[in-house]
Amino acid sequence: MAVKKDLSIKYLGVDCENPFFLSSSPVGGCYDMVAKCFDTGWGGVFFKTIGIFVADECSPRFDQTNKEGTPWLGFKNMEQISDKPTEQNFEYIYKLKKDYPDKVVVASIMGSNDKEWRDLAKMADQAGADLLEGNFSCPQMTSHDMGSDVGTNVELVEAYSRAVSETTNIPFIAKMTPNCKNMEEPARAAIKGGAAAVSAINTIKSITNIDFENNTGMPVVNGKSSISGYSGAAVKPIALRFCAQVLQDKEIQELVKKNGKDYGHGLELSGIGGIETWRDVAEFLAIGCRNIQVTTSIMQYGYRIVEDMASGLMHFMEEKGYDKLDDFIGCALPNIIPAEELNRDFKVFPKFDDNKCVGCGRCYISCYDAAHQAIDWDEKKRRPVLNEDRCVGCQLCLNVCPVPDCITSGEIKWKEGRKETDVTVKQHFE
Amino acid sequence: MSKVVKTKYTAEAQAGFNHRTAMEEAARCLLCHDAPCSEGCPAGTDPGKFIRSIRFRNAKGAAETIRENNVLGGSCARICPYDRLCEEACSRCGIDKPIEIGKLQRYAIEQEKIFKMKTLKAPAKKMKEEVACIGAGPASLACAAELSKAGYKVTVFDREEKAGGVLTYGIVPSRLPQKVVDHDIAQVKGLGVKFVLGKKVVPADIEGFDAVFVGTGLWGAKLPPIEGTDLKGVYPAAEFLKMARTDSAFKPGKKVVVIGGGDVAVDCSVTAKLTGAEDVRIVYRRTLEEAPGNMTEFQYALSMGIGITTNMAPDSVVGTNKVEAMKFKGRTGVTEKSQLTLEADTVVFAIGQGAEDVSDLAPVNVTEKGTIKATAKGKTSGKKFFAGGDIVNGGKTVVEAVASGKEAAASIIEFLQKGVK
Repeated sequence: MAVKKDLSIKYLGVDCENPFFLSSSPVGGCYDMVAKCFDTGWGGVFFKTIGIFVADECSPRFDQTNKEGTPWLGFKNMEQISDKPTEQNFEYIYKLKKDYPDKVVVASIMGSNDKEWRDLAKMADQAGADLLEGNFSCPQMTSHDMGSDVGTNVELVEAYSRAVSETTNIPFIAKMTPNCKNMEEPARAAIKGGAAAVSAINTIKSITNIDFENNTGMPVVNGKSSISGYSGAAVKPIALRFCAQVLQDKEIQELVKKNGKDYGHGLELSGIGGIETWRDVAEFLAIGCRNIQVTTSIMQYGYRIVEDMASGLMHFMEEKGYDKLDDFIGCALPNIIPAEELNRDFKVFPKFDDNKCVGCGRCYISCYDAAHQAIDWDEKKRRPVLNEDRCVGCQLCLNVCPVPDCITSGEIKWKEGRKETDVTVKQHFE
Repeated sequence: MSKVVKTKYTAEAQAGFNHRTAMEEAARCLLCHDAPCSEGCPAGTDPGKFIRSIRFRNAKGAAETIRENNVLGGSCARICPYDRLCEEACSRCGIDKPIEIGKLQRYAIEQEKIFKMKTLKAPAKKMKEEVACIGAGPASLACAAELSKAGYKVTVFDREEKAGGVLTYGIVPSRLPQKVVDHDIAQVKGLGVKFVLGKKVVPADIEGFDAVFVGTGLWGAKLPPIEGTDLKGVYPAAEFLKMARTDSAFKPGKKVVVIGGGDVAVDCSVTAKLTGAEDVRIVYRRTLEEAPGNMTEFQYALSMGIGITTNMAPDSVVGTNKVEAMKFKGRTGVTEKSQLTLEADTVVFAIGQGAEDVSDLAPVNVTEKGTIKATAKGKTSGKKFFAGGDIVNGGKTVVEAVASGKEAAASIIEFLQKGVK
């Protein structure tokens, strides 16, 4: 019998059948698209951002980065918010809620002044949206009164969060931009202004590739290009970092309590950034997110990716003995500690499995050219030989080895004069 | 029912890589510290280096690496027995399967053509000595290119209308398209090498040259000493393949039996199949393990519905005036007491080619088989005469012919510089 696990979760008081949501983007821009994604298994949608401003888009508007034949390592888009009339978008939301009462519809909104934010909040309320998201983070708006220019201005974030929260009781999520020095400050400002939560990250300002046909960036619009948002697998590490830092910020957690917007879990972060597989989802949940949002991988593969997200996550839970998502949400967060607190008393030597080794010598090259010349190369046998006097235990060799389980963690060596204690060493590498 | 490959005589058997698939394949390469593939090439090609170039988006650099080492890099990319050379040495075999080195080489050379690169350059200032290369096949072309790069004036002679030797006349175009051969030859011509084609060389032609390289190959018909080989419809492989490539009205016959176990036998069978034969069968006197042919070539023949029978030795050709059947007798194992008669209207013997007499052109010692006695460096008994390729080694691979042409060129340069042998 297929593994079946409970993936349901309450997010900001709203029952969600699973934590998998579309993020506000081209993948959820009209009724038919969202209806299809719901039918495919997504738990909810952050509908494409609605403004009073209606976007006038350029063509073409996308680009992708690749490496060694792998496309879409990262993805760049130049789209702004919805290019459909404001009223039509809210009609879609109304109809979606009516036809899919058990799915969660989040209205993503973006105003350019206090009044617009209030008007949009009111319309979203009337349309029956379950939750609201404030887009403070789109990095390619054609107006500086909107998008990431607002998101990096803590006063405006707080003021507009307040404008929305005063207009409606629907929980408000402020979407953060990573184009900032630190995210804690705008996140605090949003909560201070009355937001119930934050979501992170929106896209990172980028130039993905230079086009030598026109001597400009990609994509090429009439011989020119612009800096715009980067997303996809390449940004996941950056997204996880911001999520962890926001969740570890004590001041934010206190503000959530003080606001009376605590739904029992402190800050309920919605994680975004390069999510493609169940494993990515599990990672964001392990950091402490209670909801995850996806766009780029849907643009590449379609809504169907949710099937393996759900199935894979259930198998993971079965393997780990978890019954519900709350059994492991936030499990990794306490173990992300400042660099100065890491135990630096020992080194872990690599262990080479000569039978698995295919003799490529990549460990030797990398150790010599980029580490500590601690691997000697047996030219006859074509095998690495560890020089323990030189090895610092950096495990660069393990990272370049193309064969699974060929190089693993070996002997633990204590630095001179350090006290031996029980240490945990990772043993299994994928 | 199995699906068999149906294609045209001139259609390429296999599509090449594009930028993306080449990069995917290059990314499979482990980029070894001491790349064993680079030790595996008789002609000294360095796949470790050119695959790294492809991986780091430098396809032009890859083409340069290949071309500088092997002027016939395009042709070799198509016909080299990679599975017994560089690919067999590939470290990736320890994980799954080797990198498709030949196909990556083909990709790099295709880029060279697309970008109209001129990789090889001869020095503007020429040496005063001139060298003649007899035969326009792989060994001669390789020798001529090396000499040209060193500044010598070279003339290549061949009795055929087109240059290329076995490349042009002896290999099925689905495996080696003529445009690939022509592109390689264009590199040789680009170095300033002069070609005198379509005329049998006579001693007077080469009299004035300071050194002569003999790379005439093996074009003598070789038929087994059995009954009936004089019947109409019996061909030696080279003649059969050459007819297919040069005669637009060529008809292979309906029932074709090809005898032999090398790549040439496969080429003959594929040629017959692609030019309209209804039933084609390869019969080899030994086992498949003992066959010198490339397994991927045998597999290609099988994929076209060509049958392969092993361990059956030719006994006699039967017929009055023309071939009617081919008789075989078993050798060992299950076939030991067997006899086999195959109806046939065409029988092709792909059992190697014989040497032709070169004594009128070159005063050199020959073996009892008629091949020229030469050192590994291409030196013969005749002063100013050098030799390489099939006419020396008795019939090996193109890449080995290239290697011997290069070796001989080095000896010729040494000879011309020192004035002694």
